[in-house]
Amino acid sequence: MAKSTIYAGLEIGTSKICVVVGEAKRDGTIKILGVGTAPSRGVRKGEIVDFQKVQTVLNDALVRAEEPSDVMIRTVFLGVTGGHIKSLNSRGAWRLPEDQAEITEDDVEEAKEIARNVEIPQDHVFLHSITRQYIVDGMEGVRQPIGREGRVLEADYHIIHGVRGRIQNAVKCVREVPLEVEDVVFTGIAAAQVVLNREAKAQGALMIDIGGGTADYVLYEDGMIAASGCVPLGGDHITQDIAMAVQIPDRRAEELKVTEGSCLFEDLTPDDIVRVEDDNGFMIAEVERSFLNEVIYLRTREIMEQVKTRCEGHIGHLAAGIYLTGGTSLLKGIDVVAEDVFERKVTRAGSAPVSGVTATFEKPQFSAPIGLIRYAQILDQEKPFMSPLRRLGRKMADLLSVMP
Amino acid sequence: MVEYDRHALKESVEPGSLKTCIVGVGGAGGNVLDRITLDRTVDAKLVSVHTDIRVLGHSMTPHKVQLGVELMRGVGAGGDPDLGREAAVFSREQIREAVDGHDIVFICTGLGGGTGSGAAPVIADIAKSTGALVFLTATMPFSFEGKRRLKQAEESLEQLQKRADALILFENNRMGELTLPKDGIQKAFTQADQLIAQSLRAVSTILTTPGLVKLGLDDLTAALNTSNGRCLFGFGEARGQNRGNEAVKRALKSPLIDQGRLLHQTKTLLVHIAGGESLTLLEVDAIMKQLGKNVPDQTHILFGVAVDPKLGDSVCVTLLSSLGLAQLNTVAAAAPPVEMLPIKERSMPSIMDSMPSVPKAAKAPKPAPAEDAMEMLFRTEEISAPAAPTHLTVEPEPQPEVEEEIVSQEVPVEEPAFEAPETPEAFEAPVAQEEPPPFEDEIVIEQEVTAYIPEPEPEPVKPARPPRPRIEDFIPQTVARPATTTLAAVVARNPAPPVEDASFMPASRTPKVSEEEAQIAFQFGSEQDRGRRFQQTEPVLADGGEDLDVPTWMRLKRKLKR
Repeated sequence: MAKSTIYAGLEIGTSKICVVVGEAKRDGTIKILGVGTAPSRGVRKGEIVDFQKVQTVLNDALVRAEEPSDVMIRTVFLGVTGGHIKSLNSRGAWRLPEDQAEITEDDVEEAKEIARNVEIPQDHVFLHSITRQYIVDGMEGVRQPIGREGRVLEADYHIIHGVRGRIQNAVKCVREVPLEVEDVVFTGIAAAQVVLNREAKAQGALMIDIGGGTADYVLYEDGMIAASGCVPLGGDHITQDIAMAVQIPDRRAEELKVTEGSCLFEDLTPDDIVRVEDDNGFMIAEVERSFLNEVIYLRTREIMEQVKTRCEGHIGHLAAGIYLTGGTSLLKGIDVVAEDVFERKVTRAGSAPVSGVTATFEKPQFSAPIGLIRYAQILDQEKPFMSPLRRLGRKMADLLSVMP
Repeated sequence: MVEYDRHALKESVEPGSLKTCIVGVGGAGGNVLDRITLDRTVDAKLVSVHTDIRVLGHSMTPHKVQLGVELMRGVGAGGDPDLGREAAVFSREQIREAVDGHDIVFICTGLGGGTGSGAAPVIADIAKSTGALVFLTATMPFSFEGKRRLKQAEESLEQLQKRADALILFENNRMGELTLPKDGIQKAFTQADQLIAQSLRAVSTILTTPGLVKLGLDDLTAALNTSNGRCLFGFGEARGQNRGNEAVKRALKSPLIDQGRLLHQTKTLLVHIAGGESLTLLEVDAIMKQLGKNVPDQTHILFGVAVDPKLGDSVCVTLLSSLGLAQLNTVAAAAPPVEMLPIKERSMPSIMDSMPSVPKAAKAPKPAPAEDAMEMLFRTEEISAPAAPTHLTVEPEPQPEVEEEIVSQEVPVEEPAFEAPETPEAFEAPVAQEEPPPFEDEIVIEQEVTAYIPEPEPEPVKPARPPRPRIEDFIPQTVARPATTTLAAVVARNPAPPVEDASFMPASRTPKVSEEEAQIAFQFGSEQDRGRRFQQTEPVLADGGEDLDVPTWMRLKRKLKR
């Protein structure tokens, strides 16, 4: 088997479409060979609304990724997101046969089957079935049950599912390029693999990847994934809010947000005015900074609150606090807002350091695409002899929540 | 005449077993025979009969008879049943030779054309005169083939009914039920052929396989003996867990039985259960119980069981029955599938308003089945190919709008691909296309359709369309309404979300441009409130039902204004 394998990750995001080519070495490190991004068009709130536009941009991004990495990309790991993605935890209990004392692999499979056999809406399809833990005779936190003695084995799973049609749309779009989709991954999970380290997961952490169209969140508690999902609000909403409040075009609003925007709106003097100019230098609007920032603050807070609502019931100790990533996490003062809402410490993070020609990919915008590479690597480590092509809709391989 | 003896079919001659012969008349009949020849599952003499020598040449059956050699000179009957009849009469000796000596003669034909419609009655006559039991399987032409063919088919059918002991009719219009709308047309025809072949196989199996509980010719005639009636045939095969129930389910699903509803009317029902060596009494019991639910108590059930090691671990359930013509008319036998029509009153008006996608039932019962089914067939085609606006009026509310919009939008290439998934429930469309709730359909389709509108432009597309109700509930409508009522209405409808306490919004801090701002805000319609970028997307709803696409500051201000 090759010592290192090359993976390609593709994220079709609301603000950018990003292709990452990475090499995963056997020792677990990842080397990024090339990244191609292009400003996304035809994607809203994380979902494709215009095939043609997306394909055009996708081709752009592909070329930009293939050139520096000198690789022909044929199959990709596709990241998907969208408000339709839901998750739940499910447990399945399997009683060992009378004469059997030790837990075998078959028993584990049985328990898994029962746990996975959970009701999801008719139009939904499973995206991930992630092992949280095994419980042997009531004792929780068992990672490796095989070989242990016990009577009842329970498998605790975190199941992520989404609307079949939407996911297939994304796959279809990619297939038409043409590219093969090796696996479909929820971008939140992908990002979590590179943003949260082992320790953070063990202590309990909530990662929020706030991109252009969505805020993906993944919550770990006691080293196991406890909650995940997607709030379809993101940087776009902030931009829109600004555009409508200040009455300026979207593009300007976006620039304004990036250059002048901040969530901190108090302690500003009333004569702190921001000028907005058009291309020719003519002023098209003037706005008080405090007003501008308040608009941003309101929306940002709302996004945080939405995530918090959805994590209700799973937020426990969270000693490691909140991790913010994604393009929108660069917003000034967003950590303050997060701290306010969640009342825990907040860290702004990009992906863990990866080596590569371009070391700029610790930028938070690239957490998810780089995460896809890591995810691919983990998948391969789990099942080294799995065939590379798998069809959408089949339950995915286990992904142990704590990385080896 | 073309002589082909590639497969010399050994006739399994067991003392006392029944000799069967299957005759395929005409083009359609030939197709069915070819299928049977390929499947090699029936132990019978297969004879292909046609006027057209080319078709005979292509046929795979071991025995062939060319009709009216001198008369037709090897050319087809050209859709003229008289010619077909003449030709058959001409060749009656050869026909007699072919079918003589058999106990049962199956005749397969496609009605409406020349050879099939014309020759089949003659052949049936001849077969009857040799003393055999005559079993007829006929297909009725598609409605789009025109009135003339239909008429010819009907006439031929009438004649056949007098001569045949049993008649199984298959309407081509219902081919649509056999396959998914998007499957190729070849598959549809193949399925139809298979269905007919299955029925033949089933009947001959019933009669020839050594059974634990035997069914004889007499049982068969009892079940199928109604004057001028039509045969109901259902066949189901299944294996694995729960195979008994599965097989019964499939048998009941047969298009010829219409979900078993037609069984409610029959007087005699023949049930034949065949299985491999692993068939258990329990399974047989379960099967009969399940059947019993679908059949009224007074029905006389003829029951046969056979063990055929060749079946392995699969179980086959065959249902045979018949309905008299009188009953047929009341039941409207070949009408669209069960779920569409109430069983009791088939008066025309009620059908039209009952189910949306049911086509208008025609006047007379006889043409009714054909037309109904045809319209339904068309409807599915229309649904999967957006460019056919003709039947729009019958469809339920949301759909015409969607269809119109799609038609008017100069649909790009992807549209059909999306349409297929979102097809309403008329057909099971498993193609990984679940049926999302109709609302979802609407939204998703809209997304695709309007995606081609360049972003910065405001929305010209939805003039008369009723906007999505969700937004209307929360956002003030138009300038016309005074601001206060709108706000009050909006706020009254929305419980204030948990977010909104005054703590983080210092009351003193109203934005500087607020007054003009507020007015401008209220001048916006609902669509614009959500921002241009989100116009065509599904709104994001918070728990309280707010549309989160509307800017937070705007929502907040409205709430505070009151």
